[in-house]
Amino acid sequence: MTEKTHLSSVLKSVEKPGRYTGGEYNRVMKDKAAVKCRFAFCFPDTYEIGMSNLGVRILYDVLNRDPDIWCERAYAPWTDMKERMETYGLPLTAVESGDPVSDFDIVGFSLHYELCYPTFLGMLKLAGLPLLSSERGEDGPIILGGGPCTFNSEPVADFFDLFNIGEGEEVLHEIVRLYIRMKEDGAYTRTAFLRAAAGIEGVYVPSLYEVRYHEDGTLYPYVPKYPDVPTRVRKRIVADLDEAPYPEKLVLPYVETVHDRIVLEVYRGCIRGCRFCQAGMIYRPIREKSPETLCKSARCLYENSGYDEISLISLSISDYSRLPELTDKLLAWTDEKRVSLSLPSLRLDSFSEELMKKVSSVRTGGLTFAPEAGTQRLRDVINKNVTEADLERAVGIAFRGGKSNVKLYFMNGLPTETLVDIEGIAAMSKKVIDCYYALPKEERPRGVGVTISVACFVPKPFTAFQWEKQDTFEALAEKQEHLRQCITDRRIRYTYHDAKTSFIEAVFTRGDRRLSRAILRAVELGAYLDAWDECFDFDRWMQAFSDAGVDPAFYTTRGFGLDEVLPWDIIDPGVTKEFLLRERAKAYREETTPSCAEHCSGCGANRLGGKTRWCRK
Amino acid sequence: MVQEVTPVTVRIRFFKTGNLQYISHLDLVRTMNRIVTRAALPLWYTEGFNPKPKMVFAAPLSIGTESLTEFMDLRLTERVEPALVMEALNRNLTDDMRVTEVYYPETRLTDLKWLRYDITIDTEGADAALAETCEALLAKEQVLTEKKGKNGEFREVDIRPLIRTTKVTAESGALRLFCILSGDASAFLNPELVIRYLKKTAGILSDPCIVREGYRIVRMEAYREDMTPFR
Repeated sequence: MTEKTHLSSVLKSVEKPGRYTGGEYNRVMKDKAAVKCRFAFCFPDTYEIGMSNLGVRILYDVLNRDPDIWCERAYAPWTDMKERMETYGLPLTAVESGDPVSDFDIVGFSLHYELCYPTFLGMLKLAGLPLLSSERGEDGPIILGGGPCTFNSEPVADFFDLFNIGEGEEVLHEIVRLYIRMKEDGAYTRTAFLRAAAGIEGVYVPSLYEVRYHEDGTLYPYVPKYPDVPTRVRKRIVADLDEAPYPEKLVLPYVETVHDRIVLEVYRGCIRGCRFCQAGMIYRPIREKSPETLCKSARCLYENSGYDEISLISLSISDYSRLPELTDKLLAWTDEKRVSLSLPSLRLDSFSEELMKKVSSVRTGGLTFAPEAGTQRLRDVINKNVTEADLERAVGIAFRGGKSNVKLYFMNGLPTETLVDIEGIAAMSKKVIDCYYALPKEERPRGVGVTISVACFVPKPFTAFQWEKQDTFEALAEKQEHLRQCITDRRIRYTYHDAKTSFIEAVFTRGDRRLSRAILRAVELGAYLDAWDECFDFDRWMQAFSDAGVDPAFYTTRGFGLDEVLPWDIIDPGVTKEFLLRERAKAYREETTPSCAEHCSGCGANRLGGKTRWCRK
Repeated sequence: MVQEVTPVTVRIRFFKTGNLQYISHLDLVRTMNRIVTRAALPLWYTEGFNPKPKMVFAAPLSIGTESLTEFMDLRLTERVEPALVMEALNRNLTDDMRVTEVYYPETRLTDLKWLRYDITIDTEGADAALAETCEALLAKEQVLTEKKGKNGEFREVDIRPLIRTTKVTAESGALRLFCILSGDASAFLNPELVIRYLKKTAGILSDPCIVREGYRIVRMEAYREDMTPFR
């Protein structure tokens, strides 16, 4: 049998074969003999998830704008396909050319979630590449990482040759250009390239640091091995988003993906300072796009895609300073073209009747709000800055507007949380029901329903809560059970996240380099696609930790010392440790911090520059 | 006064082969929505909360079946020169799917009654004798096979009335079936069922877990009840 018949017979025996065949409209095809660098952009999750990722869409476009570079995509095959690839010896290939990923010059991985680490290694294995950076010779591809997890990439530092820290539009291209230049000059060796790349702002080469631990397991400060290696790696940002490249065409999947629509990124950063939220810190400073840029982008993407939905995204869309202007400009043509606008979840304090009329996702779908905590005291601790009055007002508008279902997001295990706060979640949900019945009968829709979804707190690097301990999962399970007992109303539906997943997440988000052994062991034991509930196996992780001689509690239920060297201290995200310490102290005093729109709190992110209307220089 | 628009229906004939055989019917509909939108045709939209272009497909294909002759009726708000429609659509398609013909139809999609298939089944040791056995099996008075019902349970059905003609030949390492099967919406016969029947009764392949492996199905032509080509 030829290789070709092999592949086709494999395709006929797997679930959703359309995710492996490529050939999408608007994909970029180039002559591989005519380019100087082949870049494989790998996403350590399935095609449906990866195709929806905005970062991948942007960077695929940025790299392919350069005629010397051909950037292709690769995704993690589902377990059935992986099994067949292993059986038939089919290597991981790129979607565009169908060439093995191991043939590429640079293989980049987007690290969007800690639980995708085993999937990343699984893909390297399928590609036939050595897993450890130190085991890779001169000939193989350079393995590069990027994405939000690189703000603490230490648990996977041994597997990567280098990381791109922060926004990739400029720095990723600079890395590839350096590679091309050194290859052309004949100056390229793996070590010479990595050494030179470390000089680019926003590049972190983990192998260039000496890492040592105290007897109690905590870290000494990292020591650069050479004087020209930076002692701290400052993240990169794109200064002016109106000038930054944004895709004009989208690769259009044939199979349905998670976010199968036009995604317009309205701004980066966040003016709020929720103390548990990593995204709100690492994407600072706030930089907005103009409505003109966004409308031009939207029209162009519509014509090149034929999508009938545009989603406006950013961390808190209603904080966009020119939202009414933007929606009016878009609605001027989208209604006629039968294109609908959608928004992700809204803040309670900014939800309005006007918004409900304009935005179809709000008009037709359910409503979702995120109070995060059940009492005002705890909401002040986390600096959420919404009140019960905001909730009453928002659901009142929703019910009068014909909505009967409201979804509320909360978190369990937040610092200082007590059972009173848990009971507050139940009370708030009940309040929503009461608001419904407070309306005159003719003003409310039929059949009220409230869904509450409760996640578990995970202390994240570069937040005010980065030092906090996580509840044990026994404690979390107890709180979940208490809440279940507090909810007596059958119109309230209660769902919660598995505390065990959050525990593993916490290990890796605050982990150090010693964890690489545990990840390797977990992969040996069969870990793959752990971001999927059906593939996640808690006991396997505990086995892996034990086999690797790692105590997971060291990273989760242990509070980190305020003067302790943190694994992520090597990264400078803009926001300073002094600011985070101030915020932490305020949290314990139950004091709130105003948003950037009201008052500058001196977080430090404005040192990075950037065209922004909020930050003073 | 709002002018009532009288919609016109245009028929699109296209092929869907190669990698696009792995795209489900639902995904095809979604894809086609975007294709006709990009083509900037004067689309007639369905009424209601979630307006969509009005498209109807004849005899939806299952995953793993290629086709040289698919039909879709598309509703427009005005008559457009067929050549222009074809050009606009093909500009927005990739190589595995192309429009081959566009016209204003004189038949209804439900007039499509029969479909001709060219099926290749990888079969070790396929010879004239085995081909003959298979042909005879399909020509019997009754062809009983298991079919998955709506509730997921398997029940035995006789597919013989849905098979019009079959000819089976042997090639190196494969059996080749040329058959005409029912394409009628109310009595559609999925060619995979025929393959499964042969695999089971003629003992071509023993592993039931991989029913989808090692075959190729191509839909070649469509007919009306009187066996004139459907158009």
